[in-house]
Amino acid sequence: MSRLIVALTLFVAGAAVPMAQDVGLPNKADSLKFAIIGDSGTGSSAQYSVAKQLIAARAAFPYEFVLMLGDNLYSGSGEKDYRKKFEEPYKPLLDGGVKFYAALGNHDNANEKMYKPFNMNGERFYTFKPRPGFRIFALDSNYMDRSQLDWLEKELAASGSDWKVVFFHHPLYSSGGTHGSDEELRAQLEPLFLKYGVDVVLSGHEHFYERIKPQKGIYYFVSGGAGKLRKGDVGKTSLTAKAYDTGYHFMLAELGKTAMNFQTINQEGKIIDSAVLPRFSDADKKKMAVTTPTIGPR
Amino acid sequence: MIRFFIVMLALAIPASTVRAQDKFENSPDARVLGDFKARVEKYDQLRNKADDAAPPLKESNDPAKIKDAQHGLAERIGAARAGVKQGDIFTPEIATVFKRLLRPEAKQHTTKEVLKEDKPVVLAFKVNGPYPDKQPVVTMPPNVLAAMPALPKDIEYRFIEKHLILRDARANLIIDYVPNAIP
Repeated sequence: MSRLIVALTLFVAGAAVPMAQDVGLPNKADSLKFAIIGDSGTGSSAQYSVAKQLIAARAAFPYEFVLMLGDNLYSGSGEKDYRKKFEEPYKPLLDGGVKFYAALGNHDNANEKMYKPFNMNGERFYTFKPRPGFRIFALDSNYMDRSQLDWLEKELAASGSDWKVVFFHHPLYSSGGTHGSDEELRAQLEPLFLKYGVDVVLSGHEHFYERIKPQKGIYYFVSGGAGKLRKGDVGKTSLTAKAYDTGYHFMLAELGKTAMNFQTINQEGKIIDSAVLPRFSDADKKKMAVTTPTIGPR
Repeated sequence: MIRFFIVMLALAIPASTVRAQDKFENSPDARVLGDFKARVEKYDQLRNKADDAAPPLKESNDPAKIKDAQHGLAERIGAARAGVKQGDIFTPEIATVFKRLLRPEAKQHTTKEVLKEDKPVVLAFKVNGPYPDKQPVVTMPPNVLAAMPALPKDIEYRFIEKHLILRDARANLIIDYVPNAIP
């Protein structure tokens, strides 16, 4: 019976795509609202177009903070780079008190962790609790060494029943032709995610958008198109719930008590994906971890 | 009572740390890797001294201050290590062990894939010189990191092509390297 419920839940989550355009964000007072940008720091007109939509979206959906999934500053980390690739495009948000939380990508200088507006507290991996019941973890996937893994395990273990959202640069699952899934990283991180009940994982690196079908009870998103685009790179595979690689994009997310709502929006303000994803219970996650095989390509 | 404290202390040490230490402490390479560790620690002490000589790199709203602190640190370390050459930390004996440790990992298909991604195009680099900071850094596969001894904070392994680099991430400085460390 319980297996049937798990299968039905997975089916509902996977089947959310066709009705995605009809699903708005509930915008509830007590939910956690945030935005997500990945691979943003080019300083290009595309980055500014996405930033414009990100800023406009906040009028209707007052998100508290923005998660940056790495490659925050391409091709240098001088004063001009910070200004042109971060401070100017997001100025209205920074002036409005919106906090940005950055993870490091392979194009980032490690000393970005010292830049206060990135809120990394001088560390390449860190965690924060935006409000009771929610815990966010930022990892440095460029350098997943023992000290980081030990830290992550300790922090995950201490996070109890909170919603757990983990973000970092390299995707564990991806249908990208250029990069694809990072299997070595997955071998290190996924067991911890399963053991401690991580709910949502956000990554960039691939310059497109892909919502991955739930893997062992975890929702994975690839969102690396807020400043870079690799057209035609996402091959639709058995991993894919929804893919988009013809335009730039960002994401809005809302975590409530029992579900995550999200919208993915392109540089023209068009919603390209949205859904309500139920939060799996710990018991369901444990069952799915055992019964759901890893699917999809490399 | 003493026994109680010993048991508590043992429980307080994460199992993974014990595993990582044992891996090298009980291996035939323990002496050589102990030498490597001592050389890296010596560098770390030198860096701490260089750090103490000027206002430290700390969090700031001003990117120029971060960059200035990084450059200042690199200059002080560079001056303190004047005359240093390739092989001062990765001695021939240490380099041989590292090559052997890396070989099985580097042969793995998934590792090869990661190492060839976004690799920096570097025409020249040298010990005590800057790590190219306008280029992407090569992502270090976790299995490759696990094959080598752990390093102090802000000192890391990287690759430039086939060369294993020991990099000071805070000063963005190349501390030493092993030429052609992987096939």
